[in-house]
Amino acid sequence: MTAQEARLCGLLLREHFGEVVEKIGTHLLRSGAQNLRTIVNESGTPIDLVKKSLCVLMKHGACRFSIGRKGPGSPVEYQASCERILGILRYPRYIYTAKTLYSDTGELIIEELLQRGHMTMSSIVKMVADRLTHNMEEGRSIEYNEVVSTFSKLVETHFLQRCPPVSEVVPPVSTAPTVPGAPAAPVSTGPPTPESFSDCYLVPSVSLAGRGKRRRSGEDVVLDQGTTKKAKTDLQTHGDEGIYWQVNFERFHLHFRDQTIISAVASKLDQTSSEIVRTMLRMSEVTTTPSASCTQALSANEVFRSLPANYSISRPILDQYLTLLVDDPMEFVGKTGDSGGGMYVVNLHKALTNLARATLESVVQEKFGSRSARIFRLLLRKRHLEQKQVEDFAMIPAKEAKDMLYTLMSENLVLLQELPKTPDHAPSRTFYLYTVNQLATARMLLQHCYKAVANLIDRRLFQTKESKRLLEKSQRIEAIMASLQASGAEPEQLTEVEEMISAPEKQQLESLRHHINKLDSAENQVDETIFLLKSYVASTARITR
Amino acid sequence: MADAKVKKECDPADAAVIENRIKELCIQFPQGITDQVIQNDMPHLEPTQRAMVINKLLSVGQLDLLRNSSGLLYRMKDAQSASKMKGSDNQEKLVYQIIEDAGNKGIWTRDMRFKSNLPLTEVNKILKNLESKKLIKAVKSVAASKKKVYMLYNVQPDRSVTGGAWYSDQDFESEFVEVLNQQCFKFLQSKAEVARDSKQSPMIQRNSSFATSHEVWKYICELGISKVDLSMEDIETILNTLIYDGKVEMTIIAAKEGTVGSVDGQMKLFRGVNPIIQPTGLVKTPCGLCPVFDECHEGGEISPSRCIYMTEWLNF
Repeated sequence: MTAQEARLCGLLLREHFGEVVEKIGTHLLRSGAQNLRTIVNESGTPIDLVKKSLCVLMKHGACRFSIGRKGPGSPVEYQASCERILGILRYPRYIYTAKTLYSDTGELIIEELLQRGHMTMSSIVKMVADRLTHNMEEGRSIEYNEVVSTFSKLVETHFLQRCPPVSEVVPPVSTAPTVPGAPAAPVSTGPPTPESFSDCYLVPSVSLAGRGKRRRSGEDVVLDQGTTKKAKTDLQTHGDEGIYWQVNFERFHLHFRDQTIISAVASKLDQTSSEIVRTMLRMSEVTTTPSASCTQALSANEVFRSLPANYSISRPILDQYLTLLVDDPMEFVGKTGDSGGGMYVVNLHKALTNLARATLESVVQEKFGSRSARIFRLLLRKRHLEQKQVEDFAMIPAKEAKDMLYTLMSENLVLLQELPKTPDHAPSRTFYLYTVNQLATARMLLQHCYKAVANLIDRRLFQTKESKRLLEKSQRIEAIMASLQASGAEPEQLTEVEEMISAPEKQQLESLRHHINKLDSAENQVDETIFLLKSYVASTARITR
Repeated sequence: MADAKVKKECDPADAAVIENRIKELCIQFPQGITDQVIQNDMPHLEPTQRAMVINKLLSVGQLDLLRNSSGLLYRMKDAQSASKMKGSDNQEKLVYQIIEDAGNKGIWTRDMRFKSNLPLTEVNKILKNLESKKLIKAVKSVAASKKKVYMLYNVQPDRSVTGGAWYSDQDFESEFVEVLNQQCFKFLQSKAEVARDSKQSPMIQRNSSFATSHEVWKYICELGISKVDLSMEDIETILNTLIYDGKVEMTIIAAKEGTVGSVDGQMKLFRGVNPIIQPTGLVKTPCGLCPVFDECHEGGEISPSRCIYMTEWLNF
């Protein structure tokens, strides 16, 4: 938890939940686990506000409670999770992924869940169905069934998971909701809920009850689609009270990681190789633990069978592609054996390392120029080099090379290692070697990314604040227009209202909108870098543990 | 001239005869003669006489004094160089000898002082003298531009001093290197494209996109953009810089001895490659490239709200 992360968390909390939650959240982040009384005293907010903020944070999984450190009987302690709060930055990416995989229905389900943290399935389905119907034309509506089917598909592929049940006695609650839920709760085919929420909303034909879904615990994947149907005649409660669902962020992260690897293979080699890698990753989705450094071994026969139908390549060609993938210096794919036509794995850790290295190189290239990038890559490859050797290998004149090296050193991208020849460390008798430490540089850049995102958010808020007056005015005018239109006014009245905004103001509004969009999209772009670097750091930490 | 007339008395005529005899012996044994040899030849010669004669020959400059493991060696000095040194005194000869010994690497003035034990002023005077006589020359070293090394006039300076093909007049030729860089890259890239478009099996595609360092060398020579002759090692250093640019990758394969371009049974193959990621998200924002990133914080002189880089970028 660094200062930059704390600042970013504060900004995100303020934007999404308001200032009170921001205050409590940042206080918790800074001071670690505390009990309720301490929080109230130290933050100076009234206790009911503190309670409400804690509830909000817990609903979104950003805060958890546990037994106090002094043992059972001591007050409960609350702890905020920095990672989870930073995950707010990635919401647009989650929603977009859901949209690409499961179209609008999936997108809306994920969006609703992200906004509300925990929800029961019935409420989600109802809300999503309403929203979809609202956007459709008159006279059409969406069936609960479709939403339910998309929901179950999401659950099947583990993008959604149940929230862990909270027991009365307070044992230390694990952060990972790996507690298996109750076995298949019945799906009821009771009478349909006759409520209609808006004019063009038809009665759904099937009501929902808690669809039995046990989230996989650890390795075994047990998907139970609740085939047992017991009739439950409960009108308002659909039988799934107390079964809350939340978004499974880990699964989304695995998906993002796979996407990055596939696109890297596609740009380095060609489309067919990337398809092969995609197939391999898809096959190992359920068999590989998230923290593995390489996937389970797959035989070439299996890969051949699982290739998508439109990529019909012959078996020898597939073997050639696999050999090429193995021989590639990037080492995306490795060969672990010869049975079954050759056993191949995707080297996840190596792929992440290479991608992180490419990110570092691209930052150096954009910031300092391609010759400095040459020196940087040279040092990454050769580890330790003297000044003279750097000049010779990189073929850069001595003066310029010196200059570039010193600039890189002042930015802490390049380090100096001293090797004394004599015990007295005399400078004239010491080797000075330049080196690059990839992990430390990645961490440093990660902090820079956090700061950059915080800056972008700051700027966005500042620009909104500057033009607050203008924005309010335009909102009022829009409201007036809408009400006039609804009550059927004449065109002259509408144009009169429109002219209340002058042309330069319109332009200002337009440019403001453009700026805000640009800042928003920049935040998402930096978030991609954050994701890559963080995965690399986490993967390396796992390997070296 | 078979018999040497040895007289018991030493007189000037004798000295000349002894000198000639010694010179003949030197010619007979070009690699040098020791005291022992002279003694064997002229057993009646007394050591003092011998020493006198030899000293005279040395001072005249017709004999070279060397030392080897068994003792002193006298060698006939080259007639030409002997004539050169006429008129120079001992110190100059000493300095000249030291420079000659340094071969093609040359010797620095400070090292010269250590070896000859002469004071600095003397050394400088002698060096200037020799330079005006066109016997030695000064060559500027590329490593330290103020340092001058001295070597014999007709000796080619070693590569480490002049820097080889990339230096002309002690200046690193960056544009030349850049041009070569781009040419090599274009060659490899076009070869890779041809291979990709041929739509054959992937293995053949990849293998045909490789180029050996020999092929690249031939291509560059034929292009004729270089006034200097470039060797294959030079081209390999250029290709290595392309690897460090991330544009090219290299493999080594075993090759039969005797195939063109193979060095010690190996051949280096180079291939143009694409980058694996696009420029990363951080550098698409002004913060990623900001020179004052570390001094920026909210409420300060440099802050996100007042950032001029952001303003420019937003209005773009």
